[in-house]
Amino acid sequence: MLIKSYVLRRIIKAVFTIFLITSLVFFIVRLMPGNPVDIYISQLMIEESMSYTQALDQAAALFQLDFNKPVVLQYVEYLGNLLQGNLGQSFRSKGTPAADIIFKYLPWTLFCVGSGLVFSFVIGLLLGMVAGFKRNSPLDIGISSLAALIGAIPNYLIAIMFIVVMGSVLNILPFAKIRGSLSPGVQPEFSLNFVQDVLFHAWVPILIYVLSTVGNWVLLMKSSTTSTLEEDFVTVARARGLKERRILTQYVGRNAMLPLITQLAISIGFVVAGSFAIETLFVYQGVGALLLQSIQARDYPVVQGIVLIITVTVVTANLLVDLLYSRLDPRIRVR
Amino acid sequence: MTAPITLSIKNLTVTYKAARGLVRAVRDVSFDLHRGECIALIGESGSGKTTLGLSLVRLHVRAANIAAGSLIYHPKQGEPYDVLKLSHEHLRRFRWKECAMVFQGAQNAMNPLLTIGTQFLDTASDHDWHNPREVAQRGMELLRLVQLDPKRVWESYPHQLSGGMRQRVLIALGLLLQPQILILDEPTTALDILTQRAIIDVLRDLRKQLDFSMILVSHDLSLAAELADRVATMYAGKLVEMAKVDDAFYRARHPYTLGLVKSVPTISAKIEDLRSIGGSPPDLIQLPPGCKFHPRCTFATERCRQTEPPVEVVDALHEVMCHEWRNVINPVTV
Repeated sequence: MLIKSYVLRRIIKAVFTIFLITSLVFFIVRLMPGNPVDIYISQLMIEESMSYTQALDQAAALFQLDFNKPVVLQYVEYLGNLLQGNLGQSFRSKGTPAADIIFKYLPWTLFCVGSGLVFSFVIGLLLGMVAGFKRNSPLDIGISSLAALIGAIPNYLIAIMFIVVMGSVLNILPFAKIRGSLSPGVQPEFSLNFVQDVLFHAWVPILIYVLSTVGNWVLLMKSSTTSTLEEDFVTVARARGLKERRILTQYVGRNAMLPLITQLAISIGFVVAGSFAIETLFVYQGVGALLLQSIQARDYPVVQGIVLIITVTVVTANLLVDLLYSRLDPRIRVR
Repeated sequence: MTAPITLSIKNLTVTYKAARGLVRAVRDVSFDLHRGECIALIGESGSGKTTLGLSLVRLHVRAANIAAGSLIYHPKQGEPYDVLKLSHEHLRRFRWKECAMVFQGAQNAMNPLLTIGTQFLDTASDHDWHNPREVAQRGMELLRLVQLDPKRVWESYPHQLSGGMRQRVLIALGLLLQPQILILDEPTTALDILTQRAIIDVLRDLRKQLDFSMILVSHDLSLAAELADRVATMYAGKLVEMAKVDDAFYRARHPYTLGLVKSVPTISAKIEDLRSIGGSPPDLIQLPPGCKFHPRCTFATERCRQTEPPVEVVDALHEVMCHEWRNVINPVTV
């Protein structure tokens, strides 16, 4: 009974959070300066050298929107659509549901950032544990300083430095070919060729993602390992003559990992958000890049849709992790 | 003492590196622990008793260093060996199998993520006892001996047990591999008076039923009085007096032991008889010259200020490090 009501309470809270954020985003997007039509018009005027009237005509034909409708009414309409699972039509790609566009980009992000997160977490965990165990040794000093250093550099800087060094100075990597998610002409299918091509385009963004996030995992795991090593039960485990490997994994590792799980949940949640800097730099067709484009074009439905998906994943991941925690840590198990 | 020797501690010296200099926590301590015997190490905080206990299984903190001495262990079968010279792997096997240690503040002594049963099993398994059914049977038997509900405790996680229960679990776990020596570091501190009583009774019964020697590290003299055969008094890292329990309590020859005994309230004694020892323990980095106790000692003479007393023999089982031991008489009436 207790567990039921606990889970139920958590779910109600989660739904409420999602609703709140969705609503906030709805209004915030509309508070941004400019609107889709104006931006499209000025874009046409600059890029296609059209006159204002020409551009206005074309824009009016493209956007059959009534921006004079009161915002509150738009909001109610949006919520109504949302309840039916309809994210609305993209302003930019006329006649295409926002959801279709998002789901076209989403798999790329899930693959690229998702695998980046897995690598980053695992590598960070291992290196952090090593640093924690060999505290104050040259190895620890090496790992920790490096982790702090690369952890402090923003990912776009790492990416730019990587491109400059590898592509231009050393001229090892063909960045012109690596750009994008797939080479032209390659179709998604179950073939070696396709897999190879996906990896060819994804490995650099994945590497950059790992480089820019692994430092934090290392430092988190190191501090957690260090404090776990101070625990009495570790000393007692030594006194019990347990094998070193068991102490490392079952006694120190398992306990040291617990605080990182929350952090992991948040990161998992943000996997769907992609990484707009990395995706934009490598022209990777992911949600992050899409979000940036949509914000610039004021494509409200797409922006709202992406933020909604991010919100839902972050909230769900947190909910799941709280429930998972009780599996991992008997002290907070709900009986 | 006719029983064979189990552990022979010779000239053990343990130092710590501190920012201010070298802390001499244990200085030139020697004594023998016999089979089935219980020795209580008593003394104030900072007297070096816990450091001594920990160094017997070489679990002293990393900053500490066993500077000199030997720990000759006599196994049930086979040749005696020096614990200080054991390799990493041999030391691991020595720990718990030959010499188990129940820690001060055992509240946090078990892995919070594993059940008690699992931790009994992994201890056994790492000492090459790979028969889970046998281990469980023996473990539950020991849990019953320490007056716990074996089935329930076996499947519990540490946080589901009270402080006193955890302490008893650790004692049971300590005896799982039938070690020859059990070191207990303040086993009753931080427990309420009834639980303390229960632990003392359990330890006394266990010692009757199972054959093991005990080193009891405690500042609780009543605990020492109830369990120990001999009492070793430590002061400033030195073993200043070693006596049979009756001698220590009624015929102490070291002013410090006497002071400790007199500071314990008894039912028969009046409150005026209660005396604390004036002053505080010496700085272990800069020890005073001569007898380390002389600044606090009412018996001190010029000689005490200049030379550290040697070990003097009161009788066969009573040794003391005091120039003035002949003048020290316990005024406490029995």
